[in-house]
Amino acid sequence: MISKLQIHLAKDFLKIFLRDRQSIFFSLFFPVIFMTVFGFMSNGEQDPIRIGIVNQSNSVAASDFVEELIESPVFDVTAGLEERLREELEAGELTMVLVLPEVFSGTNVGTELRLLVDAAQVQQLGFIVPLLEQTLIDIEREFRDTEPMFTLAIEDVQARSQSYLDFLLPGLMAFTLMQLSIAGSGFNIVEFRRKGILKRLFVTPIQPKDFIASIVLARMSIVLIQLSVLMAFAVFVLDVNIIGNIASFYLVVILGTFIFLNLGFCLGSIAKTQQAVMAVGNIVIFPQIFLSGVFYPIESMPALIQPIAYVLPLSFVSTGMRDIANEGASLLAIVPSLIGITVWLVIGFVLATRLFVWKEVAN
Amino acid sequence: MSIIEVENLAKQYPLPDNKSETFFAVDGVSLQIEKGEIFGILGPNGAGKTTTLEMLEGLVDIDDGKAVIDGINVQTDPFKVKEMIGVQLQANEYFDNLSLVELLDLFGALYNRVINPEDLLGKVHLVEKAKAKPANLSGGQKQRFSIACALVNEPKVLFLDEPTTGLDPQAKRNLWDLVLELNDAGMTIVLTTHNMEEAESLCNRIAIMDHGKIVAQDTPQSLIMKHAPEPPEAPLHGNIEDVFLALTGHALRD
Repeated sequence: MISKLQIHLAKDFLKIFLRDRQSIFFSLFFPVIFMTVFGFMSNGEQDPIRIGIVNQSNSVAASDFVEELIESPVFDVTAGLEERLREELEAGELTMVLVLPEVFSGTNVGTELRLLVDAAQVQQLGFIVPLLEQTLIDIEREFRDTEPMFTLAIEDVQARSQSYLDFLLPGLMAFTLMQLSIAGSGFNIVEFRRKGILKRLFVTPIQPKDFIASIVLARMSIVLIQLSVLMAFAVFVLDVNIIGNIASFYLVVILGTFIFLNLGFCLGSIAKTQQAVMAVGNIVIFPQIFLSGVFYPIESMPALIQPIAYVLPLSFVSTGMRDIANEGASLLAIVPSLIGITVWLVIGFVLATRLFVWKEVAN
Repeated sequence: MSIIEVENLAKQYPLPDNKSETFFAVDGVSLQIEKGEIFGILGPNGAGKTTTLEMLEGLVDIDDGKAVIDGINVQTDPFKVKEMIGVQLQANEYFDNLSLVELLDLFGALYNRVINPEDLLGKVHLVEKAKAKPANLSGGQKQRFSIACALVNEPKVLFLDEPTTGLDPQAKRNLWDLVLELNDAGMTIVLTTHNMEEAESLCNRIAIMDHGKIVAQDTPQSLIMKHAPEPPEAPLHGNIEDVFLALTGHALRD
């Protein structure tokens, strides 16, 4: 089925790509940098909140309270006088200052604690106040010697530790395969035409199917290599988890590559100049970066956009890849995505065969 | 014996500034090109030279008329024709990042042939550039490399579209020598040119085109005899440029 000519030409296309160090660099650069940055951001524990404490009381309850805050990993406690801590708060060195009143004991009811905050930092307030209140309640219970009515026993089943990187990787891989595929068929064809290479090929006995098959072969190899490099980097360097079946995962990759190669051939046939293909290409690529659940789940988008977002080709591909990678879904479980992918494959193929007329594309 | 027979070839294109109307880029061109000759097509810009060649090469659809190369109809059997012609187009860029040898191998594969790239590079005096990329060749070297690519299938007919345009005199003469060498080995060569000296010294016969039509077709000598304006007291003189201007006028073209 695959002829010697197709393999020869595909090898040449592959050589052309591999010798173009710059485009290899840039096709890997973005996803690698992206993942690394997010890796560092989500790996480190949240920075402790710097809190100042002014203890005006010398009761046991007050020092217990301070003790608990110091032990809490959430807080980085600085104790001191109100005046000095207030200055530090104003200078932005502290997030807030808590003032314990002189009268602070288990026997008094309705003791008021003052919390000094800087308006610029108050977004953390919603998170801190319940924590402080919890600490107060614990101390109160201790004094009153009451047992809590409810406790939470948290049991980690460790089924999978889902981090943002785990979520991100399949999306980024889907995005990368789209970029590589559209560039390979669409952008390259326009460039070949501009240089008159297609015209030159046309006056040789090569059949259009040979030309297309060799581009598909070459690009498929490039996509598989680049994605494997990306995945190896993510798994071995950034500790990203892929729990699904790798063969199923690659099947979705291959189908997705076919979709975007087809769409690329359409673009390359419609757009006659490099500028035009870039413009039209961006119309196809750009919305999908944001709407196809590459960086965040489609469910978190405004309800109005969701129906559109769900039917984009990249959505089906990235959802399919993610379900396999993150949830270990079987091919049977991702049938909805596979149906969407198939529909786009058919649409792309029909359009590409209509639009890609060898003689017109070459001229 | 004619290797190329062209009868009443015609091609219409939409007018550039009024797409609803068409004009004849090629308008009833008939040619007989003999086996083993160097045939030149001359004409001002826009006369239809390139379109005529592109119809013979199968690049452009033939609207009307008939073209037969070595007994094969170009319209009905384009792929058979492509098998036995060699083509050098005006644009001579190739894939980036492939060396001359790799490109020649690729062209060989397009004809389903395994070729010897060094031999071909030897023919066009580019052996020392075997590992170079086309982007690093000079204008003359690029044209010679284009001819090498056109030779991979040992064509019966070689089409050269303005092979010497933009070349310096040395590169130009070097290319003429190459064309003569190939012709000596029996290859039929059809070329277009703006260079009158080239037409006169290189071509066995020439056709002069204007406005899509052939206005004269003969050997350079007889064209000079027939068309060069002859001052009364001088003996035979003049050159193809005089013939060309006498036939196509002095008006500037695009």
